[in-house]
Amino acid sequence: MDVLVLCAKTAVACLLIVAGGAKLADPASFASTVRLFVPLRIGWPLLSAIAVGVSLGEFAVGVASLTFPAIMALDVLVFAIACVFVAVSAIGYAFHRGRSCRCFGALSQRKFDAAGVLRGAVIAGIAAVALAHVNAAALQLDATARVLLFAAAALLAMTAFTAARARGAGSRREVVAQ
Amino acid sequence: MKVPLYLAVAQWTLLFAFGLLLIVVFRQLGRTLHKDDAVVPLGPEVGSKAASLEYSRFADDTVQYLAPGDGQPTLLAFVEPTCPSCEKLVLALGTAEHSGELSGLRVLLLTSSPKSYLKVSDAFRATRLECGRILAQATTQAYGATSTPLLVAIDRDGMVRAAAPAIELAEVRTFSRACSFPAAGGESIPITATTPQHENDLEAAAPAAGAD
Repeated sequence: MDVLVLCAKTAVACLLIVAGGAKLADPASFASTVRLFVPLRIGWPLLSAIAVGVSLGEFAVGVASLTFPAIMALDVLVFAIACVFVAVSAIGYAFHRGRSCRCFGALSQRKFDAAGVLRGAVIAGIAAVALAHVNAAALQLDATARVLLFAAAALLAMTAFTAARARGAGSRREVVAQ
Repeated sequence: MKVPLYLAVAQWTLLFAFGLLLIVVFRQLGRTLHKDDAVVPLGPEVGSKAASLEYSRFADDTVQYLAPGDGQPTLLAFVEPTCPSCEKLVLALGTAEHSGELSGLRVLLLTSSPKSYLKVSDAFRATRLECGRILAQATTQAYGATSTPLLVAIDRDGMVRAAAPAIELAEVRTFSRACSFPAAGGESIPITATTPQHENDLEAAAPAAGAD
């Protein structure tokens, strides 16, 4: 049971890190998605700032969750973020169906649809599993392990950033070719 | 030394995450390479307006300006003296010219090579057709002349009527007919590209202008 809970905890943390890193590769396009959910008419600089803030927030929570697994509050925060994903997917499905969600930047071409709501619910479910109690001994990490996990998280974000940028460049080429 | 369970699980999860991202990158790389192979158009789009161009005429070393659409149908041949297929095309064009099949047409051989390169080819040395060197790389880009030989038929209104690789006399005749094709309607004569293309890259050679 402990293995299952820890798998859920690390999987959601990695998901947040990858999503944050990928979005940071092209904040302008994610800003266009953010605009869909902001009822007020605000300028692009502010929208871009919100997009970067959301991306950095996802990354930060993912890294914190990965490197400090014993902090229960982080698990709750991750679950809350997963619930926000579900809410965003549902609102997007209701009002902006077919528009690109940019949930993973250019890494994914997913749109706001019923499957997106289901994916959000699955992520929330996994985050809920991560809330379950785990034997404290399994979560004991020393400073070296934390540093290594932090380095791995940074590397993961950089890889996602690079992959998203490569995919984004490829997509633009397609548009030019058409 | 006993590894905490969390650390072991985290390592495996990170490994899977890196693996997934690696797959994404390689898929994109494969897609990009596939596109580069598949979508390389040769020649200008048939029915489009032909671009004007400047060339250095070898006969008198003067710079000439060609503006398609000046009322004279034009047959442009993008060729290289070092390309065997181009030699065949130049010979075929010479034969057609000699027999009067190209009368009324302005026939122009365009190359990216300097004048001294003409010596390497008997066909280029002997031809009486007007031959010149492309002065701007933009010309090769505008005409999509990414490989040679390339024949482009332009009608009297400056519209591209046909564009394809060609080396045979029969293909030259088809192109000469295409030049005189009625401009109205915008229809084009289908050209079958059976000619093996030479891998000469005009774009790569063009910046060498002035090395003559």
